[in-house]
Amino acid sequence: MQRTACLLLLLVSLVAKAAEPVPERCFLDGWSQPLQCYRLQVGESVSGAELAVFVAPALEQNGLDPVFLLAGGPGQAASDLTPILPALSKVNRQRDLVMVDRRGAGHSGAFACEEFQGSVVADLDETVRLLGQCRKGKDNLVGQLNSRTTVEDLEQVRSQLGYERIALWGGSWGTRTALLYQQWYPASISALVLDGVAPIDSKIFLAAEAAQAALDKLASDCAGDPQCAALGNWQAQLLQLIADWESGGPTLKVIAGQPPIAVTSLHLQQTVRTALYAPEAAVMLPFSIAEAARGNYLPLQGLMQAVSGMMDSVSLGLMFSVACAESVPRIREEEIVSNGRNSFIGEAFTRTYTRGCEVWPVPARDYPQLSPQSHPVLFISGAGDPITPPVDLARSFAYLENKQQLVVQAGAHINTTRGCVPELIERFLDAPQETLDASCVAEIDLPPFMLSEFGFALNEVNQVVVSAGGADEQEAEND
Amino acid sequence: MNNENPNFGWRYTLVPVLKKELTEAWRDKRALLTAVCFALLFPAMMTAMMLFTVKEKVQKEPQVAILGGERAPYLANLLRKGKVELTEHKGADDRAGDHEQAKALLQQGNKVVVLVEEGFADAYMNQRAPRLYLYRDGGDSGSGAAVRRVRSQLAQGRQLVTAQRLTAQGVSPGSISPWQVQERDISTPSARSGLILRALPGLLILGLFVGSLATSVDTSAGERERLSLETLLLQPLAGWQLVLAKSVAVASLGWFGASLSIIALACMMPLMPLTELGMQHALTVQGILNVLLLLAPIALLVAVLQILLALRSQSFKDAQTQLSIFQILPVVLLTGIDVAQVELAEAWQLVPLLGQQQWLKAALVGEPLNLALVAAGTLVTLAIAGLAIVAGGHALRREALLSNC
Repeated sequence: MQRTACLLLLLVSLVAKAAEPVPERCFLDGWSQPLQCYRLQVGESVSGAELAVFVAPALEQNGLDPVFLLAGGPGQAASDLTPILPALSKVNRQRDLVMVDRRGAGHSGAFACEEFQGSVVADLDETVRLLGQCRKGKDNLVGQLNSRTTVEDLEQVRSQLGYERIALWGGSWGTRTALLYQQWYPASISALVLDGVAPIDSKIFLAAEAAQAALDKLASDCAGDPQCAALGNWQAQLLQLIADWESGGPTLKVIAGQPPIAVTSLHLQQTVRTALYAPEAAVMLPFSIAEAARGNYLPLQGLMQAVSGMMDSVSLGLMFSVACAESVPRIREEEIVSNGRNSFIGEAFTRTYTRGCEVWPVPARDYPQLSPQSHPVLFISGAGDPITPPVDLARSFAYLENKQQLVVQAGAHINTTRGCVPELIERFLDAPQETLDASCVAEIDLPPFMLSEFGFALNEVNQVVVSAGGADEQEAEND
Repeated sequence: MNNENPNFGWRYTLVPVLKKELTEAWRDKRALLTAVCFALLFPAMMTAMMLFTVKEKVQKEPQVAILGGERAPYLANLLRKGKVELTEHKGADDRAGDHEQAKALLQQGNKVVVLVEEGFADAYMNQRAPRLYLYRDGGDSGSGAAVRRVRSQLAQGRQLVTAQRLTAQGVSPGSISPWQVQERDISTPSARSGLILRALPGLLILGLFVGSLATSVDTSAGERERLSLETLLLQPLAGWQLVLAKSVAVASLGWFGASLSIIALACMMPLMPLTELGMQHALTVQGILNVLLLLAPIALLVAVLQILLALRSQSFKDAQTQLSIFQILPVVLLTGIDVAQVELAEAWQLVPLLGQQQWLKAALVGEPLNLALVAAGTLVTLAIAGLAIVAGGHALRREALLSNC
């Protein structure tokens, strides 16, 4: 009997080998090289789905573990991670880079909530109303969107593509997915690179303190630069503006090509918080706020326009389905109050999620008890990250045996593309057991502060742009 | 001379003469050495060239000088971060002095000199677009790469200033991009290595000619001068058998040379930094075997033609000259077609040499071959070789080719 079962298993595995999926050649925006694209069936027939899978094939097929790229949000698609591919091109010489659009994201049936497209909704009641509309009639889909399903799907993709073990790169919420994958399928994983770390037990939507810390970091950098310091106490001015605009602020053109609207303090808070994701935008905050306090709203309007497009590619339906099941239920009322007490954003950011989840019914899901793991893990954090600040490895990751952290002092959210970080990632993947010499990370500078209409001053000597801006705006979409 | 003797089957006559010709051909150490040397020369050159290109591209930081960097410290710092070996020099007191010094710095081995004009910072703050002078020597091979690095650093700075200036005016930096260009490169990494392998079919065919040249002269004009050809002709064997035996012996050397080339190249490929150039090793064992098979018929044809040409010549020396010219012609033709990127209709593959060139190209990068065309083209090549052998045999028997002795 057992022998028959064995033979059957062998036969099945042979058939499975024979039926290895055949890719099509395709392209993604942001990456000029051809990709191998699959549409893979995952899950059981009833609760199954067809996922879009994109593989940037290694130049040398030498059997090294591929790297699966896990996107943030939750709501960002892996296929939107093309801006980081150039930074990983050296890794890509030896290893396949695999992007799997999870259910509800990107090319796997984006759950986008069209209601929000092309406008900035800075009114909580309106946001909640639109969310309610988006959620209607989607019970079946909402029930499938959670980390457990995502990891099960990824695991099936891994085996269908014939990879024995894989390395994971996670960005932002993608780090949470990676850490859960590590818990549920430790044997499938060889190493993890986690950029913008969301520990499994962290309450990521309780982000007011982190946002304030990032603003404080910016303020201290600014104070260290005599010309930026001369802009005055712009932090106090920011709080004053937020208070003043509670009952309505100036009329500004917050989206290019659309008529101006009367902005609110929530607009201002969201703009400042979002600008903090990318250093290139953050260095414009002190001047923009100081000018606004003097009655010149143009720089602030420019910033609002710049950040308005940042959320466009995030599938809000996916985001709320996951957040409302896994993260928001763990947030207690008194935590929202205390977390927002001394922050410029107050309770506004967290309330968007707690109120949104009221109209987004979904059963709460618990995470597993954390079991010790020995995979090598590389943590990458930006000191000025307003959502996933540097973690205390000893406290949050005591269960991981083999870990190291890069903290980019001049960095914000997602630093994979900055300075020498790509090389360090490559070195880590090649020799994950070794401790990296990370001294070059200190050479990454903050871009120079905007000081006037002409931009930054040319006598700024210590602060230099380290990477082109375009990619960073993309990455700032992660939560 | 004797007529063909019907009592001797071709097995009894051809095999011994073939053995004799092969032994003589392979015993000639000098001819063998020529074939081996040429066979190894170009794979080695190719590898060296690629290593050099990549070293230039990846490692070498060009020397760049900035003159007057103190007028805009940000720019000096920006360049310092830009993978160049930067030296900084104080600007002169006047405009003319600045430019004189810039030229002098260029003479001192700098690939680019960046001159920040006086009053740069003031003009920048007044948004009057001050000037940066890039001094370079366009005749210097490294200056192009150095200029590109300087430009790319400056572009980063410009992008940052532009974003800040637009934002200050209330406009999103993104609004200056009216459209986005999305590039799609449909080449495959192995096809890209075809760029490097493109010259290879021509070189392999040249290898055939070079490898068999010395032997073909020796076995024909050489034997004629040594008077040993006459002895051979006294033997009871058909003229075509003699030409065939000689051709096979000569072709074996040419084919050996070309085979050695391709095998040497395959061995050196792992040394080539192909991935650095975004390419893939495309040579497979199957590909090499295909190349060897494809080369065999053309090797025979080349050998026959060489022998006939050498027999027609006035003397040993004359034969050498004629064959040297003869080996250049097809290679010039093939290279010309390749360089001019002439698109040939498929029927052209029936023409010897042209066909082989196309097939070798495909076989080298692992692209599929049109087997019907390959078979037809190979038959044409073999048929021409056969005709040449028969014609040569007749000519030998008629002593037409011996009259010069």
